[in-house]
Amino acid sequence: MTGMDSSAAAPSDPREPRGADPRTDPAGTGDPAPGAQGTPAHPHRSGRPGEPLVVLEGVQKHFGDLHVLRDIDLTVGAGEVVVVIGPSGSGKSTLCRAINRLETIESGTITVDGRPLPAEGKALAALRADVGMVFQSFNLFAHKTILDNVTLGPIKVRGVGKTEARERAMALLDRVGVAHQASKYPAQLSGGQQQRVAIARSLAMDPKVMLFDEPTSALDPEMINEVLDVMTSLADSGMTMIVVTHEMGFARRAADRVVFMADGQIVEQAAPEEFFTHPRSERARDFLGKILTH
Amino acid sequence: MGEVFANYDVFGAFFMTIRLAVLSAIGSLLLGTVLAVFRMSPVGLVRGIGAAYVNVVRNTPLTLITVFTMLGAHSNLGIRVADPASPTSVVDTAFRWGVIALTVYHAAFVCEALRSGVNTVPVGQAEAARSIGLTFAQNLRHVILPQAFRGAIVPLGNTLIALTKNTTVVAVIGVAEIAYLTAEVMENDPGLIVWLFLVVALGFVVLTLPVGLATTHFGRKLAVAR
Amino acid sequence: MSAPVQLFDAPGPRGRAQQRVAAVVLALLAAVVLAAILWKLGERGNLTAAKWAPLVSPVVWRSYIVPGLINTLYAAAISIVLAGVLGLLLGVGRLSQLAPVRWVCATFVEFFRAVPVLVMMLLSFWGYLALDAVPGAYLPLAGTVTGLTLYNACVIAELIRSGVHGLPKGQAEAGLSVGLTPGQTLRSIQLPQALTAMLPALVGQLVVILKDTALGYQITYAELLRQGERIGSAYGNIVLALIVVAVLFIVLNYSLTSLAQWIEQRLSRRGRVAGGAQAADPTLGVDADPVAAGPAPGPGAGPGRG
Repeated sequence: MTGMDSSAAAPSDPREPRGADPRTDPAGTGDPAPGAQGTPAHPHRSGRPGEPLVVLEGVQKHFGDLHVLRDIDLTVGAGEVVVVIGPSGSGKSTLCRAINRLETIESGTITVDGRPLPAEGKALAALRADVGMVFQSFNLFAHKTILDNVTLGPIKVRGVGKTEARERAMALLDRVGVAHQASKYPAQLSGGQQQRVAIARSLAMDPKVMLFDEPTSALDPEMINEVLDVMTSLADSGMTMIVVTHEMGFARRAADRVVFMADGQIVEQAAPEEFFTHPRSERARDFLGKILTH
Repeated sequence: MGEVFANYDVFGAFFMTIRLAVLSAIGSLLLGTVLAVFRMSPVGLVRGIGAAYVNVVRNTPLTLITVFTMLGAHSNLGIRVADPASPTSVVDTAFRWGVIALTVYHAAFVCEALRSGVNTVPVGQAEAARSIGLTFAQNLRHVILPQAFRGAIVPLGNTLIALTKNTTVVAVIGVAEIAYLTAEVMENDPGLIVWLFLVVALGFVVLTLPVGLATTHFGRKLAVAR
Repeated sequence: MSAPVQLFDAPGPRGRAQQRVAAVVLALLAAVVLAAILWKLGERGNLTAAKWAPLVSPVVWRSYIVPGLINTLYAAAISIVLAGVLGLLLGVGRLSQLAPVRWVCATFVEFFRAVPVLVMMLLSFWGYLALDAVPGAYLPLAGTVTGLTLYNACVIAELIRSGVHGLPKGQAEAGLSVGLTPGQTLRSIQLPQALTAMLPALVGQLVVILKDTALGYQITYAELLRQGERIGSAYGNIVLALIVVAVLFIVLNYSLTSLAQWIEQRLSRRGRVAGGAQAADPTLGVDADPVAAGPAPGPGAGPGRG
């Protein structure tokens, strides 16, 4: 596992101290954790810790004959980091994309911060502004500079002034370690750098929750850690995150909970340590057996 | 060569070619954009209408469309595009029908050029734009169209070049442009054939080469690196 | 290359309702336009049986339409063969080791590609007449074929050249490394692959040639369009006659376009070409059209005359 050996920016075992307390400080006065230097001192707007932020109930979806999401129930609390794993084709990406309605669902409900997911129009756009999304293929706007990629949303959606948006964007780019590339175009950056910019682009919207759809799957092995490090420090700073990934090292290190999916269903969910050492279901044992022996 | 210029209105003919090309380029850009929007609509029926137009027009000879405007629409159906009482009625009628025929024909190609431009934009670009909360209009304006336009420069340039040369076809309804002049010269002075060829060839090189060079240059310069 | 962009987000209930309204409004609008056209046609007496009947009578088909169709296909067939041969020579000439050969071929291609096909037809028609080079009865055919051949040879030459340039470098290097001369490498390795890669574009060029035979109308060649016009003068039903001719052209060209797409799909499925066709244009698969198809052969490609 390439992700295993990435020593996180955080000291010792970063997962343990992250119970309920210092990281999600609603007042925003707490230490925003390593890696978050340069960010203005306001925290991620994740509601009060522990309160349900993203709730899926009875979600169903088909792709033709394929039942990709079967009766999905999932609750993600504010400040929680949930890692979704499972074999390919298990529906985990679809689940992730359904939360900001890049995929529509057939039945069931999805609520974000207590509000049901709007179906269309301005309300949907407003919701998406609050839900960050990081894609497998980065999807940086190819015709815009790195800086413009990060400022586009704040200026056009949030109505932030240009100067302020730039300052904030530079701080975020600095935080993810690509500030010196700000005037370049996406194609001039490495995959790992592009993905870090994509994370900064999402953060610039001050999202309540961030979705990661296999963020390291398209990266060369040597670039995976630089992205995972940023994600780990983001997790430590109290961001609510739903991460679809194959990086078991990241799951062990940064997740509060691991959700295992197969054939469109959530088969089991547990704390990482418990899941990796004592998987309850046959499917999970089988899956872990296949990937961990390498 | 002097004889060609001395006895015939070469510049007048080329000026007519340019007038035809400019007006029908504008017309087909407008109509072609509407068609492209139709062809990319989420509504099946609207897409169908756009596709039907493109497939019918693209497979019909321009000569047929041009002949139809005059013999069909004008003579048979009595549709008038110029005031019959005006002293320039005959010339105006031919010119306007010529522009209409060229517009109708090339709009189908403009539509396809624009669509191929949009097709150069990967689906992830629109998804990323949606994900940061841009509305449909903002997504088009800031993310999709700027990239699609760059991808459409070269095919649009090729269409403009073809259109410029295709203006000759409207000689069939008596518009006094280059092909009309060619027939006139050849009927009277067939000995001028080589000079005439050179004049016409150079004329069209002068008209089309800059377009080709410019679109290739800007197509490359503005290309979106992926 | 990921999937091309979807302009529209998946619609919600309001969006679907709007789409239904748009569909209904447009359907009504289309019906109104269609009705207006039919009304206009009827008002001018085009829809009477007397006007329609000739177009389905065997006599008219035998004496006008079928000969016109044959002449159209005849001119197109001769032109594609001649243009193919001349185009191959010019294309190979532009790839020649000898600089003068390259220059001559390049100049030829650039000049004849710049001149509109119709002008070339008029020049050759009147030129043959002045020189008394062709028997009178064959003048229109000769003019049509000359114009089509010279222009399309240039396009084909460009297709071949870009096809060879589009091949991976390793192909030529491999040929040279097994001891073939540059000429042999071109003939036995590069050209066959380039031709295969360009096959869809070549078939697409057939559509352009077939459409452009209609330019022969202007030098009195008795092709399909001219014959349609003759029906119109004989029976006073020019609008209907032109519609029938248009339908025939559309069916012919549509079949050829479908053939080109079919060939292209087969080629890409088999992977017969080392990097050629597929690499040329990633969006080609959406809809093979002359504008977007293949490596752009530069000025003149795209919408054919006609």
